[in-house]
Amino acid sequence: MAKAIKIKKNVEEGLFDFLKSLLEKEKINGVFTLKKMDDNGAISYSLITSPDEFKDAVPLYPFMPVNAGKALSSFTLLGKTEEPIAAVLRPCELRAFVELVKRAQGDLENFLIISPTCGGVLSLNLMGDKNQEKIVSQYWTSVQKAEISPDTRETCQFCENFLPINADITVAALGNKDLDKEFILFLNSPKGEEFAKHAEGSAVSEEIETKEINEFRKKREELREKFFKETGKEGEGLKSLINIFAPCLGCHGCSHVCPICYCVLCDFDAKTHEYHSASLSLDLKNKGGLKVPTGNLLFHLGRMTHMAVSCVNCGMCSDVCPVNIPVATVFSKVGSSLQKVFNYFPGKDIEEPAPQGTYKEEEFKTIGEQ
Amino acid sequence: MNDKFTPNIIGFLCNWCSYTGADLAGTSRMKIPPSLKTIRVMCSGRIDPLFVLESFIKGADGVMMMGCHPGDCHYQKGNYNARRRYVMLNSIFDTLGLEKKRIGLWWVSASEATRFAKVTNEYTKEIEKLGPNPTSKEIFL
Amino acid sequence: MSNNQKETKNYPNKGKSLPVEKSIKDTVFNIFKKALEENIFDALLIPAKVPDTDAYSWILLQDESLFDIADPLPPVMTVQGGRALSSFSKNGELGLKIAALLRPCEARAVIELFKLHQVDLDNMTLITIDCPGAMPLADYMNDPKKIADSFKKISEKWEISESLRPACQNCHRFSLMDGTGPDLHIGLLGENNKVTLIANSPEGNDLLEKLGFESKDSLDKWKTEKEKLVKEKTKKRESFLKEWQEKTKNPDGFFNELNKCINCHNCMNACPICYCQQCYFDSQMINFKPEIYLKKSREKGALRFPLNTMLFHIGRMSHMVLSCVACGACEDACPVSIPVGRLFSMVGDKTQKQFDYVPGLNREDPLPLQIFKEDEFCEVETPNECEEKATEEVK
Repeated sequence: MAKAIKIKKNVEEGLFDFLKSLLEKEKINGVFTLKKMDDNGAISYSLITSPDEFKDAVPLYPFMPVNAGKALSSFTLLGKTEEPIAAVLRPCELRAFVELVKRAQGDLENFLIISPTCGGVLSLNLMGDKNQEKIVSQYWTSVQKAEISPDTRETCQFCENFLPINADITVAALGNKDLDKEFILFLNSPKGEEFAKHAEGSAVSEEIETKEINEFRKKREELREKFFKETGKEGEGLKSLINIFAPCLGCHGCSHVCPICYCVLCDFDAKTHEYHSASLSLDLKNKGGLKVPTGNLLFHLGRMTHMAVSCVNCGMCSDVCPVNIPVATVFSKVGSSLQKVFNYFPGKDIEEPAPQGTYKEEEFKTIGEQ
Repeated sequence: MNDKFTPNIIGFLCNWCSYTGADLAGTSRMKIPPSLKTIRVMCSGRIDPLFVLESFIKGADGVMMMGCHPGDCHYQKGNYNARRRYVMLNSIFDTLGLEKKRIGLWWVSASEATRFAKVTNEYTKEIEKLGPNPTSKEIFL
Repeated sequence: MSNNQKETKNYPNKGKSLPVEKSIKDTVFNIFKKALEENIFDALLIPAKVPDTDAYSWILLQDESLFDIADPLPPVMTVQGGRALSSFSKNGELGLKIAALLRPCEARAVIELFKLHQVDLDNMTLITIDCPGAMPLADYMNDPKKIADSFKKISEKWEISESLRPACQNCHRFSLMDGTGPDLHIGLLGENNKVTLIANSPEGNDLLEKLGFESKDSLDKWKTEKEKLVKEKTKKRESFLKEWQEKTKNPDGFFNELNKCINCHNCMNACPICYCQQCYFDSQMINFKPEIYLKKSREKGALRFPLNTMLFHIGRMSHMVLSCVACGACEDACPVSIPVGRLFSMVGDKTQKQFDYVPGLNREDPLPLQIFKEDEFCEVETPNECEEKATEEVK
């Protein structure tokens, strides 16, 4: 039986109060969470240190303006935080942060990690929409019923890893019919238990894997298969890839928002991958024409070799694509097959090295001997 | 139409085993297909997956990665890394429906001149059967 | 030197009018086909529709069969032409003669990149075309067919439609300007069913001569039509500038427009002028230890993540806004619909006027920050003395 407490409040309100009381009682020195920026619907991550500023915090608001793993990495890039900070992250953001810590791009120490069972996030283009409030309330209804909300990101709709791993406290939201009256916090670590003493809740014995959760997972698995089938048709690989990435502007926004793509200067932005005008006449002679700027497909395939095995499926890349390329679905598809091959679960175990950085002598024995 | 298709194959050969093996095959007057263009690298671990991808996208009909047998690496573990990279490329090609036969990995030691001649000839034949790489005529890459 | 003085350089008085038989596209392509056949140039840079998709992209065209997919004025601007041209020519030594068919804003970006040594114009013929504008990229990607249809209607009537990109609605430089920009201009305005070729440089003249065209036809009709539209659009632009200056009168107005920013740097990556390989704002120059961030957070109660979004936008402005050609590529690329293009264009307008600089107008004009005059901007330095001096001079 997992350790858990029940709080008799609306989930958003309850989590808000809990975090605020931690901040007021100076148990923590800051809360890293989503915050309303303005009346125009803009939401952004913030490191809130003053209880007064906390009034605009919306910890569970269904938007992911940046992958919080990436944001926390920029916060702790030059060293760990010396003061205790509570951070509210979605499961994929947490996995991204773990992957980044693995790559020495951040530090988990002194963080109290709080993560919800996640119903997905809304597409970023809905931010600032005139119906934003309505869409958000519809979203919460679907979370209550453990249904897949059609307004959420495509990647969210088929994400199976919606239960947080490595969180100190898990906020159980999915499939809770009485979400506006009560909710459960699962305490996964001694640190979580320690801090949860300050929440006004009563101990209960519950399991996180409920019937609703299992059914929800099944629904998402079905969708996953459907999306994967539709993306990149078999047998006509090259043509279908070219068609998928045909509108690509080469803005590299996908790599810029990707939490795993942490390089300061991407290889594909570097001089190495500039087109050499000397090869122009040869290329034109061979093909009669040439798309410029060249190298779109090399960029996407190359980026796959760099990060797909650690892809946490957050969907930021699809959301920032100005030309609606389903980048996340393609990367997710490739990522999941790579993760199967290397038996790797990104963001699960902080001690486990990323597959490119390690090897086993006894693996893939038959390869190269044919 | 009568022109026989001569494939364009890029070989990345590790300096200590495969390149020396190729050299031995040459000095032993074994027949090596002219379609193979070799590039010497110090270790198969130096073969950046991007080298392979770039060769593929720029129209190479086949790409051969070659290195020392596992356990024999001059730098002790370079070929293990190369193997993982090949597995990764292979899996990406497989998932996306690209022709995965166009890339391959072979271990060839310094003394295996016969094996070098055998695998290069066999691979050339295989690629001849497969035909030219569509990327060589594709404009929108 | 005022703008008016600048705009009196060898303005072409005559052009070559060609009748349109099938379509404008066909007439224009026939010229290029002839030029390719006679090896006047080796390849043509032109937008094309990727087969089996709705996507447009730039191609270097050599094989004539590719004219089937080429489109001189596609409904959207995908990659900014300046960026496309620089991508293959920045290292020089092309070894080929290339003609580039660009929208006027793209050609202006090319001229700016030329000054920044990011393109090679030695073997390049720049050709511009009267531009009806383009549709917002996001709209087009959501419903390509519908948007392409409405673009067709808009472009036929030269309508300043609300459904065009904001940058295009407010663009008064959609045609040939009186400067040493492109070599050749293709005028679509003026008489119906006629395309007018206007040489704007000795190279352009050469090209027309080689093609066997004599520049004998009058440009009056094209000019009148053009100036009428310029006037109309200048008016539209002025009202846009006024509206946005009002909106951003105090800092809050400016911040509110940018507070959705997610720091993806798409705007910078789509911008033709932002050519740096490693942007300063992507570098590690602005990283601090966590305690500094906590301190910053305590000063205001909260610290926004991603960090430095405001610094990024204002900093980028300081880097490129003097060369901003108001092409709107940044706004098209923004995933959260921030009116970046309008903000930059508004700031650019004011800043460029201060330096009396029109980006992309003349190849010879040096970049404003590369030169200085000892006696300029006295009103910024010592306003009081400056006034005294001015009154003395009047006396």
